[in-house]
Amino acid sequence: MKMKALIFLQIREDLVEENTLGILNKLIETNPSIEIHGALLRDQIKSEWVEEAGKHGVKKIHTVKASELEVYLSIPYVKSMLEIIKDIEPNLVIAAGTVYGEDLIPRLAVQHGVSCAERITDITFDSGEIIFHSPVRDDQVMKATKIVGPIKFATTRTGAFFVNENPSGSSPEVTEVSVTFDEDDMVVKHIEIKKAERTVNLKDAKVIVAGGRGVGGKENFQIIKEIAKLLDGEIGATRACTDVHWIEETYEIGQTGQSVSPDLYIGAGISGAPQHMSGIKAKTLIAINTDEGAPIFNYADYGIVGDMHLILPILKKKLEG
Amino acid sequence: MKIVVFISQIVNPQVKLQGVDYFDSSRVNEDDLIINPYGKNAIEGALKLKEILGADVTAVCSKGLKPNKALREAIAMGCDNAIEVADETFYTEDPLILAKIYTNILEKIEEFDLVLLGVEEQSTSSYATAAMLAEKLNLPSVLYAEEIEIQGDKLRVGHVLEGGRKIVEMPMKGIISCSDSQFFIPRYTTMKGILNAKRAEIPIWNAADIGVSASVVGEEAASLKQISLSNIVIEKESFIIKEGEPEEQVDKLLAKLKEDGVKLGV
Repeated sequence: MKMKALIFLQIREDLVEENTLGILNKLIETNPSIEIHGALLRDQIKSEWVEEAGKHGVKKIHTVKASELEVYLSIPYVKSMLEIIKDIEPNLVIAAGTVYGEDLIPRLAVQHGVSCAERITDITFDSGEIIFHSPVRDDQVMKATKIVGPIKFATTRTGAFFVNENPSGSSPEVTEVSVTFDEDDMVVKHIEIKKAERTVNLKDAKVIVAGGRGVGGKENFQIIKEIAKLLDGEIGATRACTDVHWIEETYEIGQTGQSVSPDLYIGAGISGAPQHMSGIKAKTLIAINTDEGAPIFNYADYGIVGDMHLILPILKKKLEG
Repeated sequence: MKIVVFISQIVNPQVKLQGVDYFDSSRVNEDDLIINPYGKNAIEGALKLKEILGADVTAVCSKGLKPNKALREAIAMGCDNAIEVADETFYTEDPLILAKIYTNILEKIEEFDLVLLGVEEQSTSSYATAAMLAEKLNLPSVLYAEEIEIQGDKLRVGHVLEGGRKIVEMPMKGIISCSDSQFFIPRYTTMKGILNAKRAEIPIWNAADIGVSASVVGEEAASLKQISLSNIVIEKESFIIKEGEPEEQVDKLLAKLKEDGVKLGV
């Protein structure tokens, strides 16, 4: 049986969101015969998004265009997706595990009386059965699950799948779906989006020295800055640090911050939560943490179990030679 | 205003259990369980609102063996009441089953406004229950909250967003999942709280009390079926220096980096 998938096409900063493109690549690679439909919900639909999704393998795009969909809000987005699902009867409904995707998918699943697979890093197809693979327990254990029901729902972990750099798909067919909204659908009101200032681009940095909650305070970022300077690198931080303004938000690395791929990444006082680690693809990763069980050591090539407040000043002294 | 906080228990990450053993209940002692850290963030959110609005806060735990200890801790932090909802038939590995259990608990509680939960289970990364609960109860929700403010009869909630933060306004009656942002950093228990916790009478409800049976909340009823749990083998070899004085450790690291030809700096 030919499988039909519906993917929620998220738009981030006026582009089709990266993880969403990654899912397309993964689906086609794993199941070349899969028929991929995309859902595009917005106040305006740009042809660039449609073309981009087509290039990456979406065959049919279902659009809902309404002023109520200008920004993501659960109720109008769920309502729109339900219409599309009703129309096309997919076997799989999938979205990138962004803040929006993780809100949308569980709600759609509930409307179909089933559960969902969360933050998958792999999907396999076994004689018509879809198997979802999600890492749990700080990435020490892989959990394989399946969903009983005609439609399966899943979110992926951000950073799990690579985007195809040479996509060769063609222009997709576009169907407009009409959905009307009433006052009750808009009970949660959008006030504003405060975009984090991105004054420093960490994407091309070769060396990054980053701090996490273990840094403990604004003044302690000084030593991180000094070491970064000595190594001719940039500084980075987890959201825990930018949230409390120990360091400017531009330095946030991870799912909700910048994605980086340095040659060398030194992480100090960072536990290694997936939300942070999913933004890092480093050739060499060095971790410094007091907790031997911290998940960052699973990702590290080199590490010191120790207090960064003692280790970093010594490291600095030695680097100054 | 009545606030209900759902907390759960996880095995303390400090407990030396490796890989799949962590999920083997026969290897876990009651003392190894702690409140899911994000659940504590939710308690903190409720207590902050209590300070402003004079709300009544009820902590509920229905995940993990004998949640009595966790609930006493919640009261020691400042919650007014606690309810233990435990039944051996509960299959809480499926977020939808958990949402069903929570729905029935709220129906029995009857009067409630705001419902707070942690953003996810730290041990399983499961986050879906909050959104599922909102959908089941047909209530507005905000996930990944970083801050809650009161604006007249509404709540203004800032939540995590890729590349920034989003602010939305919602009615007081709704569901919020709380992150570990500064706003939700849990407070310590107080002497008075600990005394209250000792004296507190914590009712215990079972499946029948909340009107459910194994056919809707048991493992058989789950639509999410676990096929396997397997240890992830990390193929990469890593050089972790666990012992020694800081200076020794740094020297060892630098020597090894040199030996491996890893350049520090550009």
